[in-house]
Amino acid sequence: MKLSCRYNRANILTSIVVLIITGIIYYVVIHFILTEKLDRDLAVEENEINQYVNTFHKLPLPASYLDQQISYKALNGTVSEREFLNTIYFNPKERENEPGRSLITVVHLDSKTIEVTITKSRVESEDLIRIILLITLGITVVLLLSLLLINRFVLNRLWRPFYSILNGMKSFEVTRMETIEHEPTKIDEFNELNKSVNAMAKRVRQDYKELKSFTDNASHEMMTPLAVINSKLDSLLQTESFTAQQGSLLEDIYYATGRLSRLHQSLLLLAKIENNLIPDFQHIELKEMIEAKSRQFQELLEKDGLVLTEKLVPIEIKMSRYLADILLNNLFSNAVRHNVSGGHIHIKLDEQALTISNSGKSSHLQTKIFDRFSKSVDSEGLGLGLAITKQICNLYGFRIDYHEESGEHVFTVYFTD
Amino acid sequence: MKILVIEDEQALLESILAYFTGEGNICEHASDFAAANEKISLYSYDCILLDLGLPGGEGLELLTKIKQLKKRDGVLIISARHSLDDKLAGLDLGADDYLVKPFHLSELKARVSAIVRRKNFDGNNIILFNEITVDVSAMKITVKGNQVMLTKKEFDLLVYFLSNRNKVVTKNAMAEHLWGDEMDMSDDFDFIYTHVKNLRKKLLEAGSADYLHSVYGIGYKFGDI
Repeated sequence: MKLSCRYNRANILTSIVVLIITGIIYYVVIHFILTEKLDRDLAVEENEINQYVNTFHKLPLPASYLDQQISYKALNGTVSEREFLNTIYFNPKERENEPGRSLITVVHLDSKTIEVTITKSRVESEDLIRIILLITLGITVVLLLSLLLINRFVLNRLWRPFYSILNGMKSFEVTRMETIEHEPTKIDEFNELNKSVNAMAKRVRQDYKELKSFTDNASHEMMTPLAVINSKLDSLLQTESFTAQQGSLLEDIYYATGRLSRLHQSLLLLAKIENNLIPDFQHIELKEMIEAKSRQFQELLEKDGLVLTEKLVPIEIKMSRYLADILLNNLFSNAVRHNVSGGHIHIKLDEQALTISNSGKSSHLQTKIFDRFSKSVDSEGLGLGLAITKQICNLYGFRIDYHEESGEHVFTVYFTD
Repeated sequence: MKILVIEDEQALLESILAYFTGEGNICEHASDFAAANEKISLYSYDCILLDLGLPGGEGLELLTKIKQLKKRDGVLIISARHSLDDKLAGLDLGADDYLVKPFHLSELKARVSAIVRRKNFDGNNIILFNEITVDVSAMKITVKGNQVMLTKKEFDLLVYFLSNRNKVVTKNAMAEHLWGDEMDMSDDFDFIYTHVKNLRKKLLEAGSADYLHSVYGIGYKFGDI
């Protein structure tokens, strides 16, 4: 829920409650005051009738009252109490039934007790109340609407710098050296936010730069001696006549050097992936890449008599081409290396996942298979291939799964989590 | 061909020079930015091997300079930085190729030869070796006028051997050249043997002399003897 929405909701809810309560109080109070006034008028009439009776010793004619209706009734015995009440009476002027207010009182005339009912129309006061109520309601609606509009427009405008900062942060890339721009605003909080965000971005960029230069330096410093060893070996090989024994020693050194440089490159690659230092992000036709990779591995497959079957659907995924190549390479060489002679490899690619299953000796690595340097005893690999594969999957939000199923090793890369 | 090696690591420089010298190649070298800068300004080379991390300056600046001077020298970057950014930056600036340290000298030689061939023959890309003629751009091989049909891998292998004639080339280097160094198949290069055997057979059948020799089980040597 957006802040403005939340705020609006609270605001309008309280406004409505407060307005309803004031409306009710308003109605009750006005009603009370008007009834009070009517009652006072009725009491004045009663007083006039009493005075008339005391002075003239007869009852005044009902017709002489214009605004009120008066009726008399002789009482015998029971004397009712003086009371005010709401009635509905027939108004001869308007020729219709109208709500009225009556006062029932008693007049003593020559030892006779006469009940007098004075009735006055309530229509005017009712109308007044209705108008007042309508005006109040109208004002309420207008007030609520204007509140809503003000909130919408003013709040939106007020929050605009915030959203521009937010967008800047969303599109922030550590490799690009731009600052996070925001709309100029006079609001201190937003200015401070922008300042802090930029300070943070600067620190992040600084760390990134240091990390990058460290990786570069480490790589350089270690690769150079390795390159020297390698080139010296190549040179040594060109000199004349070695015995077979020396030859096999040289081969061992070559092997170790090659392994060392691959190991080092793999570790650097892992560090780079972990720190998201591989920027090249593009659309990749995975089917084509897999087909190319199959061709590349053809000799290796033939050597072990492996049968490769493919079921591929053309799909496009977004990742680095370089990493996609490494991912496929690792999965392919894994499937080849841990296979048995005359075995098979099956590759299936659809919209959701890439599955590579291969025959092979049963291993019981299960949980540790994606750990660094975890490998089966007879493996010739570095034990980093699957760790790198997993890291690449993590980077792009893919999920990689391994299970062993009726003598088959099955690796599945799900493209969505 | 005339080559300039710009490399600050003395031991590596010596190996490269030793490997390239001979067969009518002239090699010069520079070990720091200033010396390299001077040589680049004064002379022309068929190919310049450029190390990116140099004392006294950034290697990429030299590359920019070569392009500013509108020289036709081929440039091969050799770098210890296995960084995609640098690779792309280097190729964008006009380098012909990019090789990451550590590399096999045979691979370096093959790449340099390819660059020089491309520069010098402008599409008419032909390697001559005794009775063997290889038209690299048309992928056509003739021995004494007989055409030899090779697979892609065998063809690449032959070109590789011809660039490294009279040198011992290790199986390791051959595998990396043909399948790429990301392959990580570590040590078992027996499948190379099949390719070499087929290549040798086809060349012999077409009437060439036997130039391919196995050396100590480590690798092969292509050349007279």
